[in-house]
Amino acid sequence: MSGQTIWDKLARMDRRVFYWILFICLTVPYMTPLGLPITVTPSTRSYYDGLKTIQPGEVVLLSINSGVSAWGDCLPAMVASVYQVHEQGGKLIVWSIGYNDCDITWARIKTLLATNVFTDWVEGEDYVYFGYCPGQETNVALLRDNIRGVYTKDVRGVATDDIPLMEDINDASKIKFVMSSDTGDAQIYYIRQWKNGPVNYVGSGQPPLVAEMGIAMNKSGDMVYYLSGDEFGLVAGSRGAAELEALVGLKGNATITMDSISVSHVLLVLAIILANVGMFATRGQKK
Amino acid sequence: MSQVYKRELVFIVTGVVALVMMLDYFFGKNIPGLSGSGGIAGQLQTWALIIQLMAIGLGAINLIQVHYRQISRKTDMAIYSIIFMVFFAFLLLLGLYKLFTGVELYPYTWVFANVYTSLGTTLYAITGFFVFSAAYRAFRARNVDAAILLIGGCFVLLANAPIGEVLWSGFPLIGNWFNNVGQIPGMRAFTVVGALGLLAYGFRALIGKEKGFYSEAS
Repeated sequence: MSGQTIWDKLARMDRRVFYWILFICLTVPYMTPLGLPITVTPSTRSYYDGLKTIQPGEVVLLSINSGVSAWGDCLPAMVASVYQVHEQGGKLIVWSIGYNDCDITWARIKTLLATNVFTDWVEGEDYVYFGYCPGQETNVALLRDNIRGVYTKDVRGVATDDIPLMEDINDASKIKFVMSSDTGDAQIYYIRQWKNGPVNYVGSGQPPLVAEMGIAMNKSGDMVYYLSGDEFGLVAGSRGAAELEALVGLKGNATITMDSISVSHVLLVLAIILANVGMFATRGQKK
Repeated sequence: MSQVYKRELVFIVTGVVALVMMLDYFFGKNIPGLSGSGGIAGQLQTWALIIQLMAIGLGAINLIQVHYRQISRKTDMAIYSIIFMVFFAFLLLLGLYKLFTGVELYPYTWVFANVYTSLGTTLYAITGFFVFSAAYRAFRARNVDAAILLIGGCFVLLANAPIGEVLWSGFPLIGNWFNNVGQIPGMRAFTVVGALGLLAYGFRALIGKEKGFYSEAS
């Protein structure tokens, strides 16, 4: 149409043009990394400080409550956490109450840390992987008092009673803290049933603390629990994971994706600005 | 068994279970035989877990029924249902083989590593493209409320990206203020109100007033 202004044309632009712009711009940092500095936020620092308190032989829990679709946000933080647990000489229990594709996630973590963690970690002695069990919060409540009641054996088929790591562990009190990787609210189950459920606590020791490493979208909701002290640390999305990678000294996927995060976020802000300038520019014409 | 009797029985069971679980949470240690693995509450939780496991099986059967119906009626979506059925049968057979022999065949791991994982991560990643397009088309400051939301959103975006602090040191400061202070009262209100709602729901279930789960929502 002849009477169309540039703003009208931009407003009617095919969405595929936006997809291509984003796609092309995202490829640039992969070819020429920007390597922008990352400032560590207090919530990630608290998470890392918590990891640093692990004493040799102490047991922590990794609860994989995120699926493979959220690997971009969740996997790097899990990798960095497992690495740091190993560095501290800690031991690790792994299970999932949220996603039945946790086997793939755990296999991926083992692959990524094959050369620097799983060379000397012995399954059953230093770590144990129990896999997925449904039940969500009910399951967490059961696990608090009786782990063997839920997991009678690990994924290899070895009876829990025969796993050296589990010799003295059958309730939550023997676990120092929970590292919950979430796309939903599984971390809140641990807060409700483990950390803040001591009125019914049958374990002999203190209830474990809870820390969260979830997708970026979870940050606003989790910040409430972090600021109230229910979570001792919070790693939010790939940005948080990049901060954690910097702290533990293991540059991984999150650090690599930070440049792309920068590009996509700037493009998003530019799109918003452009759209609003266009709206104001054409407002008078329409009237 | 009459319909009324069946209905009342469901409400009584729900009420009793709710009462046991509440007593377990608040007074569990003080009531012998209630808490712990051998206690009534523990047994009920184990039953709940078994029921949920059975629900997964029921879900699989339901899926087969739905897709079988699509295929038999030869609808437009039938081709997708055929693909589903083929993959379902394929993975079921491989899974059963692993269950009985303990041997994980290569195609089983290959499908998960190269099909499931790729599709899953792609699905999550392409939302970024939709958000970019939607940001241009929908994020308009048509009134003051929308303008405040947009400005706040832009600050949070630039606080989350390392380039934000390179462009201006104020971006992370203001963006993190929105994250750590600005949004907290609202989120706390949501959390507390949600908990109160859950409490009310539990109480209604306890006294048999909550009937939504017994197809009496209307």
